[in-house]
Amino acid sequence: MSKPPFVDKVDVEARRKAIQAFRERFKALLEQLQRGENPTLILPKRTLANTIYDEKRKLLLLGPEKLRRSLFNLHEAKKFMQTMLMAKIIYEALVNNEYPTIRDLYYRGKHTIVFVDDKGRRREENTWDEQKESDAVLRDIEVFTGMLREEMLILSKEKGKVVGNMRIRSGNDVIDLSKMGHGAWAIEPTPDLIEFIDVDADFVLVVEKDAVFQQLHRYGFWRRYRAILVTSAGQPDRATRRFVRRLNEELGLPVYVLTDADPYGWYIYSVFKIGSITLSYESERLATPKAKFLGVSMTDIFGDPETGKKPYLSEAERKRFIIKAKDADIKRAEELYNYKWFQTRKWRKEIEIFLQKKSKLEIEAVASKGLKFLADKYIPEKIETGDFID
Amino acid sequence: MIVETDPKDKSICTVTVEDNGIGIPPQKMAEALGKPLVTSKFKIKQSRGQFGLGAKAVTVYALSTTGSPVEAYSSPIDSTRMYYVKFSIDLSSNEPAIYALGSWKLDLDWHGTRIRARIRCNWPYIRSRVLKYFKMLAIVTPYADILFIDPDGKIHHYPRIVDEMPRPPKEVKPHPASIEKGELQMMLKQTTAPTIKDFLITTFQRVGEKSAMNVLRKAGIDPNKNPKQLTDEEVERLYRALRSYRFPAPSAEALAPIGAKLIEEGLRAILKPEFVTAVTRKPRMHSGGHPFIVEVGIAYGGAIEPTETPQLLRYANRIPLIYDEKSDVAWKVVEEFNWQNYGVKFPAPLVVLTHICSTKIPWKVGSKEAVAEKEEIKEELHLALQEAARRLRRYLQEKRKEEEIREKISTFLRYIPEVADSIATILGGNGVSVEEVQKLLINALRRRVQGKELKILEEQVKNLSKIKIE
Repeated sequence: MSKPPFVDKVDVEARRKAIQAFRERFKALLEQLQRGENPTLILPKRTLANTIYDEKRKLLLLGPEKLRRSLFNLHEAKKFMQTMLMAKIIYEALVNNEYPTIRDLYYRGKHTIVFVDDKGRRREENTWDEQKESDAVLRDIEVFTGMLREEMLILSKEKGKVVGNMRIRSGNDVIDLSKMGHGAWAIEPTPDLIEFIDVDADFVLVVEKDAVFQQLHRYGFWRRYRAILVTSAGQPDRATRRFVRRLNEELGLPVYVLTDADPYGWYIYSVFKIGSITLSYESERLATPKAKFLGVSMTDIFGDPETGKKPYLSEAERKRFIIKAKDADIKRAEELYNYKWFQTRKWRKEIEIFLQKKSKLEIEAVASKGLKFLADKYIPEKIETGDFID
Repeated sequence: MIVETDPKDKSICTVTVEDNGIGIPPQKMAEALGKPLVTSKFKIKQSRGQFGLGAKAVTVYALSTTGSPVEAYSSPIDSTRMYYVKFSIDLSSNEPAIYALGSWKLDLDWHGTRIRARIRCNWPYIRSRVLKYFKMLAIVTPYADILFIDPDGKIHHYPRIVDEMPRPPKEVKPHPASIEKGELQMMLKQTTAPTIKDFLITTFQRVGEKSAMNVLRKAGIDPNKNPKQLTDEEVERLYRALRSYRFPAPSAEALAPIGAKLIEEGLRAILKPEFVTAVTRKPRMHSGGHPFIVEVGIAYGGAIEPTETPQLLRYANRIPLIYDEKSDVAWKVVEEFNWQNYGVKFPAPLVVLTHICSTKIPWKVGSKEAVAEKEEIKEELHLALQEAARRLRRYLQEKRKEEEIREKISTFLRYIPEVADSIATILGGNGVSVEEVQKLLINALRRRVQGKELKILEEQVKNLSKIKIE
């Protein structure tokens, strides 16, 4: 007796929709050919110049500029072929009930075209050489089909984790996020397929650093303060962002982000909040416009004479914990200063203090002052008093 | 031509040269071959490059290296007999010294001349130069069939490629502005003209009634004076007047350029290049009154090996110049030439041929291996090279353009199988096959190209089935 094949109902539906989308787009392509036209894909441009900050919705969005990619145009031919190849591989994976990773897609499509040139010489060309190339056409396929990779059941290595008083359904299993022991639940690569069953929490705390997440988890922070605790472990991946967005949008939980006090920490926050430049076409689904920057802020370190805010660190502690900013940090801060979405009064003050003091600080430094200080004073007090940047 | 080394003395070779020319009349044989210094007849023509056998020089060389006489066989074109003479040169009297004479009836239908000489020669040492000489010779004589068997027994054969012969140089009278004073004195002594005016008109080209009178008035000489009775002062004045008077440019009929067409044929046949062109310039004068013509040929690519500098083939009056290359005016011109402007990047498979023909080649030194840097010649060489190089540039540009088209079409075609497969896979089941999509793709491409691109597309489409995906 062979077991009946395992069927994930949610996935089956996702596959059906994705296959449909591919067939529709390709039908249009075939019609171009039947009219004798140069096969052409019209794609939104994924460039900084075509990235627009929507002030009203507070989102980074793809602009209106379109790119025509034709097979019979020397400069676009290879990209066109690569896009077609990527479409085929994804399509085949969908049909065959597979879950390829982006690395899988790279390997499946990487092969050699062998041809004979008109001097009779045997020549070779690889469809692509580096994963950078296949990743780029995957993003093109996403805008071409209007589907995110998750919707096409493509997995990427996700590093986001979550714990908290909450039960969810992932696949056919119910998972209780409050019973993960010392570990945490790794946010699945297709967070849209998660079903929220019930939740008992007041807010979401997103921590940039995995180590600080673990300290807070062990300390029992989320239980004591009724929080859902999430870490992106560095630059947030898509699944973590989508998961946080759903917590905010569907469960109405406020989201606070805790990062290092430096330009990289600020950018991580902005990716959560408004989206990233490379993936601006997905901001509408991935960004959490209501996310708030809890810290660590420059005024936490140095205080703010304007508002009378006292610093959390003493003169001696500042001397111990502060790291001198490097040239790259200064340069990055100046870039951020010019981004539209950092041009609010509070952010300008943050960046100006940073540029003036040329100092940065890691969250671990605040934890070093005492985990108790971080968990029982710093975080709750800042939330309580509304001492964050929106 | 056959060269054999002496089995007893490897430094001695027997050289046998044979042609199928008109032969030499028996009574003239020894004189024609053996008299090294023939007096001038006061007529000039391009004297080298008519391809006699070079027998006089060989006779002297044989005499001075091995002391052996030279043997000659000849059968004139209208004769049925073969004539034989064994001779050398009596250097004291400058007359041929005859050792043996003979003649016999010839059964073969053959005419021409064969000469055999024993000379000292270090074959391994000069081998590459001799081979280069033959190769160069073959390039400028595509109308000749050349066979050379070298002392190693190797046969070098350059078959005839064209049937046309170039025009031989005509004998013309000297140009008055080019004459040397000593020559003028000789001419005055030997002339039969009754008056000095007649002398000028009959002896020189480009001198008529009017210019003769003008020159003589300038020189202050009575036009009716007997030319043999001119005083030394009068000769000097006449010489100066001839030099300074502006006569029309000399006739170029005495010159025998090879001709652009023959140069191209020769270069193409011997070097097997992918591109060849040649330029024959108009005649000009150097050093006052010597007409000359410059010719330049360029051969590029094909079987030519790339080198760091252009490979130069120099000729003067059709004779290959082998030695002393770097002191030749042609070397200077080729070296100073800005090849980059003409799309040539070294190392390049480039051969440059230069030919200077003149009634008087301005040799750098007596050995007649390098042409001196006369401004007029240098200028003509440069202009000829420029013209030829412009054609090369045009060719290279077109070639590059065509290569770009080929690469472009090839790029499109090589992606078609992959794209067709993708479309057919996704739309499979709707009666869409890979072959069909492939056909549609090729048709769509076909509609977007024309002319040369279309031609290349049709050529390359044939290779489509050879595209493999591994």
